[in-house]
Amino acid sequence: MREVPEGQPIPPAGPAPAPPAVPFSASRTPLVQWLLSPIALIPLLLVAFVAIFLLWKSQLVWFGPSFFGINYFFDPTGLQPNQFGVTLFVVDSLIVALPALAIAAGLSLAMAVSIVVYLPPMPGRVLTILTNLLAGIPSVVYGIWGYVVLAPYFGSTVQPAIFGFLGWIPGLGGPLSPGGVGSLLAIFILIFMIVPITTAVMRESLRSVPHDLVEAGLALGATQWEVMRRIRLRVARRGLWGAAFLGLGRAIGESVAVAMVIGASVWIPPNVYAPSTTLASFIFYQLDSSFYYPVLLQALIEFSLVLLGLAVLLNLIGQRASGLGTTVVVTGGNGP
Amino acid sequence: MTAALATDAAAVDDLVRASAGHMRRRLLLDRVARYGLLLPFVVVFFPLIDLLYWISETALPTFTWATLTQDQIGNGGGLHAMIIGTAVLIALATTIATLIGIAAGLYTAEYAPPAIARLGRTAGNVLAGVPAIVLGFWGYFLLVIYTGWGYTVLGGALTLSILMVPFIYRTSDLAFSAVPASQREAALAMGARRYQFLGRIALPIAIPGILTGVILAMAIGLGETAPLIYTAGWANVPLTGLFSPTSYLTGAIWLFYSQPPDIGLYALAFQAAFVLIVMVVAINVTLQAVAEHYRRRLRGLFS
Repeated sequence: MREVPEGQPIPPAGPAPAPPAVPFSASRTPLVQWLLSPIALIPLLLVAFVAIFLLWKSQLVWFGPSFFGINYFFDPTGLQPNQFGVTLFVVDSLIVALPALAIAAGLSLAMAVSIVVYLPPMPGRVLTILTNLLAGIPSVVYGIWGYVVLAPYFGSTVQPAIFGFLGWIPGLGGPLSPGGVGSLLAIFILIFMIVPITTAVMRESLRSVPHDLVEAGLALGATQWEVMRRIRLRVARRGLWGAAFLGLGRAIGESVAVAMVIGASVWIPPNVYAPSTTLASFIFYQLDSSFYYPVLLQALIEFSLVLLGLAVLLNLIGQRASGLGTTVVVTGGNGP
Repeated sequence: MTAALATDAAAVDDLVRASAGHMRRRLLLDRVARYGLLLPFVVVFFPLIDLLYWISETALPTFTWATLTQDQIGNGGGLHAMIIGTAVLIALATTIATLIGIAAGLYTAEYAPPAIARLGRTAGNVLAGVPAIVLGFWGYFLLVIYTGWGYTVLGGALTLSILMVPFIYRTSDLAFSAVPASQREAALAMGARRYQFLGRIALPIAIPGILTGVILAMAIGLGETAPLIYTAGWANVPLTGLFSPTSYLTGAIWLFYSQPPDIGLYALAFQAAFVLIVMVVAINVTLQAVAEHYRRRLRGLFS
């Protein structure tokens, strides 16, 4: 059958099946198991270590009453009161991440459907390898490509075109950004960084639909497309949503490439063309100047805690829904 | 009677014709989906090809042997120090991450009670989703400030290794879990102890699987910028020891991409990007070869 990956015995992605319980010298293992049990939890300990160390460094100040507000105002001279509203950055992050996710999810769904149902195994494999290559390209390389090649093109052609056709939609009208840098370009670059993970998770979700349901549909005379729409997509719904959350986590955490193309304006952009910022990219490019201003550094620590919390939350929701994790991009699919 | 039969036949005929038309429409829709859904591949991979082509076209004309052998001098020079820096960072980080990842993966697959194994796997995926900039920030506080080391290769490599651990952990876990039960039972029947089984039977079977994780983690580490900028710092000359700052290829792009186009540093950014892309493609090809080898081996064991 086409949808069964080659190499049958390789366990599907997701929680690996527990090894059969074989009583190897049963009288001695309990103590060893107990002593060594933290080894299995090394990833958990690392996450906890990162979070706790940052919490400790933040001294739990939670920067003043304005921290969860929408205003950002930093005065290096300290003459005027500083305002570090994290909400501003979260909103800016979402303005960039959500449209990118929507487009990437649509593309990924189509690609996953193609690979699982329509394509013969060999082209499917090649396309999977290409998707992995997409994930392997360093984010700075996307960034420099966006800044040097795409930005002028976006400024001269893409922005006017979108403005011309869709300018009546709120957020797509308004003044263009002549140089091309801005949210729109960041959205475009982010798509390529989200696609590998959403495609991988969606592919695995669609593959994990029980074969008897699929075959029942085909036996009743439904076409592959009908089986896809009425059976596979319905059964795999949770996994597809999980893919979206994992992709959103990836999009929100990306710092370097976004910092290179978004133009670094700290405000809520009036439209999608305008330069803007995101939580992750702001932390990245402000770290330099924060060395001279302890107040700013303090705020950045707390920003990074908020970013960490958001990423972990989205990741957990995504894992819960799909039964798959971020590492599936590479370890799932065509075997380990 | 005959008249009634005739009408029935006509009705059936109509029905068949109608459903044939219906069927044609359904098949057409299926075909539209089959070929229409190929369009997104073009949308996604055409820019990828454009990117690869553009990088080669921009970097190659000025790419000489000196690009690889010269240090960065003033506003020009080559990538020598950065290539060495990247190589050392990746080698160190991979070593650390491999030791941690394999130990954790082995324990999760073999020893841990189910509840702990589940927790470990979830945490592994969470760690893979932690934004690189957060890890970089953490590394800056812990390994640059708190330890008093300043910017060091070691600090950069340690930060990078945290980022790589989940991928090696996950593949090790999968690879050990995939060892066929028959092998385990055979070892048990021969009176082997658990560590003997793990060391002599499970490990050789699992190694190619683990290797895919290691190679993959190297590819991931190779492409990171955010965790390194504030831990490994920057230096124009090759590193002199574990506690000296270093330069690296991704950093060159970040630092030089906004330089004026007429000075040499700008060209250096593209050349660094080109070298990185070549490395990434090479790593991906190796990865596929190892994964294919592993798939064959497992299939052989099961048949």
